[in-house]
Amino acid sequence: MFAVLLALLALLLAGVAPRLMARLVWFRRAPRPALVAWQAVSLAAVIAALAAAPAAVPYLRERGWLVFGMAAAVTLLVLGRLLLSGHRVGTGLRAARARHRELVDILAAPDDGGRADGIRVLAHATPTAYCLPGRRSRVVLTQGALAALPADELDAVIAHERAHLRGRHDLLLEYFTVLHHSVPDPVRSPEALREVRLLIEALADRAAIRTSGPVTTARALMTLARGQAPEASLAAAGDGTTAARMRLLASEPVSPLVSAVMYLYAGAVVALPLTLLWLSWR
Amino acid sequence: MPPPPSAPRLGDLERAVMELLWSGAADRPQGASVREVLEGLPADRDLAYTTVMTVLDRLAKKGLVTRERDGRAWRYTPAGTRESLTAETMRASLGDATDRRTALLHFLDGATPEELDDLRAALSEVEQRRG
Repeated sequence: MFAVLLALLALLLAGVAPRLMARLVWFRRAPRPALVAWQAVSLAAVIAALAAAPAAVPYLRERGWLVFGMAAAVTLLVLGRLLLSGHRVGTGLRAARARHRELVDILAAPDDGGRADGIRVLAHATPTAYCLPGRRSRVVLTQGALAALPADELDAVIAHERAHLRGRHDLLLEYFTVLHHSVPDPVRSPEALREVRLLIEALADRAAIRTSGPVTTARALMTLARGQAPEASLAAAGDGTTAARMRLLASEPVSPLVSAVMYLYAGAVVALPLTLLWLSWR
Repeated sequence: MPPPPSAPRLGDLERAVMELLWSGAADRPQGASVREVLEGLPADRDLAYTTVMTVLDRLAKKGLVTRERDGRAWRYTPAGTRESLTAETMRASLGDATDRRTALLHFLDGATPEELDDLRAALSEVEQRRG
């Protein structure tokens, strides 16, 4: 009984909850608790799926082989997919970053324009800015970005990228990407991954706002968007969330009470499968 | 874990060696030997032959230079021009690869010309409400 409930819960948390949460646009105004809630939901889905087999153990006493076998199959399948996805995504990311870092280190001298270290400048006209996360992280700018961005907007961009590196947002994104790929195709929701990406950007934007204010941060977005748009052949189309991100810069932060409710929600969601598992053993 | 103290120096050296190979690529289509690279680098660097050999070996392992036997020594050629490697880097950074968007964290992840109008409207909202 509890094993079935846990399997259903896993399905609900992996397939239905992300689709609903991706529509809660006001979540975006509090990116930190929102990301905690997203982690809680995905973690609870994993716990529920992995707990199906342990919760079915009591059936063995009554010779309920079939129920136990099905629960064990669910758990092993999920575990296998998680490990495989974790391995694939992890090695793929690390290889891509290592190759990219080699190229950047050969092509781009450390910026000696008087700013702090760790910034590399690529000789390319397309304005773009990104960071290479990892142990030897880099913030990379193109000469096109340096030419297009006024000093205050450049500070906003660098503050945003440094926030990604400082907060290890790459690990957060990797976690969600691994889970996304481990969920079977009909159940997984691309809109959930897109929403999480937007939340991570919104979180880094908060750091840019603290350094440079919302208007300058928004102008920096505009400047880079204008510079990248003509390069449609080279630049990816993005996922169309930039305007949404820009509008977030105009919104006031939510009240601490709302954040507290979101944290409570996160805690409750994780507690749900654990409670079911505990009940199954009573 | 901080990188070993020699790492930044080695990185500088790799860059200097690549610059040298690139700038001399036209004069030496058959590539440069370790000795030639050593002689091409500024004398004040005071480098050992083996250091330059190590650097070239590392660059070859990274696929940034190719090497060919020439008698008892190797001759090294850049694997691509500076422009082509920059283009590869930009493709990896901006191209449409699925992993790219997770491997690198961009300030702005691409924008289509159609998106620009929407962005302009959003910007004026920000300027009105927070300016």
